[in-house]
Amino acid sequence: MNNLTSRQRKTAWFVAILVLLIPVVLLGMPAGNTGSDSGGVLADLRAEHDLGESNLGQIDPTSATMNLLLLGLRGVAVNVLRMDLDDYKNRKDWAQMQATTEAVITLQPHYIEVWRFLGWNLAYNVSAEWDSVPERYYWVKEGGKFLQRGEKRNNRVPELKWEVGHIWGHKVGRSDEWKQFRRFFVSDPDTKRFKGEGDREINPAGTMDNYLVAKRWFVRSNVAEKEQDQHIMMRELFRSYPSKSQIEYADALQREGKFDGVTVAAWQEAYVDWTTKFGKEEIHTFNNCRIYLEADEDDVRQMAIDSGVAESVILGELVFYQNVANYLHWRLLCLAEKEEGMGQAHRLLYEGEHLYNQAEHEKARAMLLEGLQKFESILSTNPFSSLRSEDNLVEEIMWGTMLWRQTYLILRLPVPATFPMKDIWDKHQDKLPTLQSRFNHL
Amino acid sequence: MTIQPADFDLTAGLLQWGKAMLSVISIFLGVALVAAVAASGKKGLFIVLDGLTRTVRDFVSISPRRVFAISRLTFKEAVRRKALLVFVVFAVLFMFASWFLTGESHRPGAQMKVYVTFVLTAVSWLVLPVILLLSCWGLPEDIRLRSLHTVVTKPVRRNEVVLGRILGFATVGTLILAVMSVTGFIWVQRQVSDETDLTCRVPVYGELSFLDRLGAPAEKGYNVGDIIETRSFIEGGTNCTAIWKFPITSQPDELRLESRFEAFRTWKGDMEQTLRVQFSLVNGATGLKVPLPNTVNVAEFSTNEIIVNKTLTYKDNNTGKDVTVDVYKDLTADGILQIHVQCLDRNQYVGMSPGDFFIRLADRSFATGYFKAVVGIWLLIMLVVMFSVTASCFVKGPVASLLVFSLILIGQFFHPFMQKILNENPEEKLKGGGTFESVYRLVRHMNETTPLPEGFLTNTIQTVDGALVNCLWLVQHIIPDLSTFKMAPYVASGFDIPWNGSMLPAIVITLGYVIPCLLIGYFSLSLRELEAK
Repeated sequence: MNNLTSRQRKTAWFVAILVLLIPVVLLGMPAGNTGSDSGGVLADLRAEHDLGESNLGQIDPTSATMNLLLLGLRGVAVNVLRMDLDDYKNRKDWAQMQATTEAVITLQPHYIEVWRFLGWNLAYNVSAEWDSVPERYYWVKEGGKFLQRGEKRNNRVPELKWEVGHIWGHKVGRSDEWKQFRRFFVSDPDTKRFKGEGDREINPAGTMDNYLVAKRWFVRSNVAEKEQDQHIMMRELFRSYPSKSQIEYADALQREGKFDGVTVAAWQEAYVDWTTKFGKEEIHTFNNCRIYLEADEDDVRQMAIDSGVAESVILGELVFYQNVANYLHWRLLCLAEKEEGMGQAHRLLYEGEHLYNQAEHEKARAMLLEGLQKFESILSTNPFSSLRSEDNLVEEIMWGTMLWRQTYLILRLPVPATFPMKDIWDKHQDKLPTLQSRFNHL
Repeated sequence: MTIQPADFDLTAGLLQWGKAMLSVISIFLGVALVAAVAASGKKGLFIVLDGLTRTVRDFVSISPRRVFAISRLTFKEAVRRKALLVFVVFAVLFMFASWFLTGESHRPGAQMKVYVTFVLTAVSWLVLPVILLLSCWGLPEDIRLRSLHTVVTKPVRRNEVVLGRILGFATVGTLILAVMSVTGFIWVQRQVSDETDLTCRVPVYGELSFLDRLGAPAEKGYNVGDIIETRSFIEGGTNCTAIWKFPITSQPDELRLESRFEAFRTWKGDMEQTLRVQFSLVNGATGLKVPLPNTVNVAEFSTNEIIVNKTLTYKDNNTGKDVTVDVYKDLTADGILQIHVQCLDRNQYVGMSPGDFFIRLADRSFATGYFKAVVGIWLLIMLVVMFSVTASCFVKGPVASLLVFSLILIGQFFHPFMQKILNENPEEKLKGGGTFESVYRLVRHMNETTPLPEGFLTNTIQTVDGALVNCLWLVQHIIPDLSTFKMAPYVASGFDIPWNGSMLPAIVITLGYVIPCLLIGYFSLSLRELEAK
């Protein structure tokens, strides 16, 4: 007990409250609308590090309300939801699983890894659970759209832009179902809703190739990466993705048997992108030099002067970073593929296979041989001879040779001992079982 | 998602209830008699008899007028305590619900499922806490404020007080539930787009058995590696067969079958072609097998609807001629129609559980299913009111609230866990023993399958664990399985609420607690010292 009167006690409490209020106000005072009114310490720190809701991306009132209502229990709530989500997934209750995914993200709208994982989960894991290809495509879209929303909520984060590009490029263009997925990308299977066009939420023009849409996202991610570091891969690889997407686009056109001007133009653009955009990207090396990958002797000399080091140091750095990005290989491939002869060689093998499938074995044999001869003539000359070990080309040539040899067997003729690209055929016999399996499913 | 509840055995349930009541009453009477005789000698016998006579008289001459008066008073008191403010929370919730619930998914079926689940869950979780707190605090508050004195000094019996309280709070719960459920129904209908099919299917399920790849009977199909093995898979291009036996209760001109199988591929195959299954109708007695004319492409996690006409024509393999058969006369034996399902794609698998294939009778309106689910919630509210009022007869408000809250928690979530512990089947029984055995194993770093060393310690541990398991058995039988009252998943998945599997057990469980709750409440209130605050 003390000897203070009631009034004295009240006054003491009041003074204590006032004293405690001072640090609270100093710390937590919100910033005003004008630039001069900076607010409290926390508001200043928030502004300094761009951590305000509005700085991070689109504001979602739902999410803010939920987080406020949960007070400090957001973590607990998220844990429960994540366990539910796994349970729904294991029970294959996709509707509830998707609803729970939305609930998790409402509570954690700025956790980049949560967006990345859940988006990938929808596009890759859930999609693979379905038997029908249109259904699989639907879930790939759901995963990509989910990441697009994540990108809107966190528009300064390069990782999410990259992930979106990766879904539209890699998942759509490189899955087992790539033929169908690429077709669906420009002509959605839900014809009732999309009237034969692509889903404009993911393909704004409605008719754009998936790799070109991916390229746009990778360009955006590169722009964002200049402001904020990414944590997915080595920076030099990360920045190569827009140009890589262009290469993938040109390659996909060829895989689909398109050898017209569009494909040649696509390869030409790929070469330009690779050598003048990615190739001229400034790289800040570990040894504090500033280099770019597309460089001749004069460039090396200038880079050495600019960085204040010997030319040999720059050369060493250049080789290292060119190897990291496999720069010279892709450069050479683009250079070769933009040549008209290379397009013709691809076309001859492709059409030869088509004739083979139609049992036009004589014609097929002639066409396949011509294609192999074309490849021989191009890949025997410098600088393209090093492409004789390029995986995709090797596979294409092996496949063409196999079909060509098969025509002899069908026509009960002896297979010639020598033929164009024989060295590749002999060298890569280990690929035959895989090709044989593919052949059996023709 | 598939739903097929087990049928409820009413006779067995009633017998079990009768036995339990008889046992409890016998124990209660025995204890009362012993205590009375011990305290008052021979007079004790008369005291107990007198008590029994008074109890019987109180229950026989119960006055509906007085019960109604108390229930009306209870209702007014609840309103005065601002119980109806729950409507404000409800309104706010529904005003902003679509913010949280409208996913980017444009699939009406999936979206509808989320809406219906939300409405029914929100309604039950808003009403239950309000009713629980009101009913638990009602009587103790009356005792504390001594307002109960004004009632009990009048010719009102204790059982009438308990019954009146129960009915009063039940009325409040019913009113709140009615308003919320009707609002929820309108909200759901307004939320769904035109193309959404708010269905209420009425399924007739069959009994499922399997033949293995050689055509021999098998207990189940194959497991393709699912974490939760809800479905068994049959292998394509072999004799592997799933056999359904459906009871035929009516004979419509068109038999509407619905399946929702799952596909599993061991190799990609033709990706643009989903897996195919063949349905055949088989007479179990004669062995006559009639394949349906068209194979069916499996619509995974969705629905395949197959219409079978009353008369079917098939080509007889022996004669090569077309033969016409009547499904009910030629293919149904002893009221059972067998349907065989085979996967046609070699090395591919099709998965199914008993609920994945059913005969679909004529649909009912969505409102039918929805309001049946609301009845399920209402029954749960009645149960909570009974528990709460009973608890408030012998403990104070906070303790009663905690007690009933615990009962709900255990009843809602822990029954499967208790069943696992109490399971007699060694394959399904929880491994590792009871509490003390588990502690022993943990301390000794023994895994759950290593046998315990024989001796005094093991015997002691197992005896104590056995006693604890018996206690758990008692708890499991006293606390109802409240998941029976959860009927939202049926409606959300577009099914009617099954009478035998869900509605009947919910009604019977609720009714089963009426008499015990009234008796406990009556005796507790009779014995309670009302002067104590």
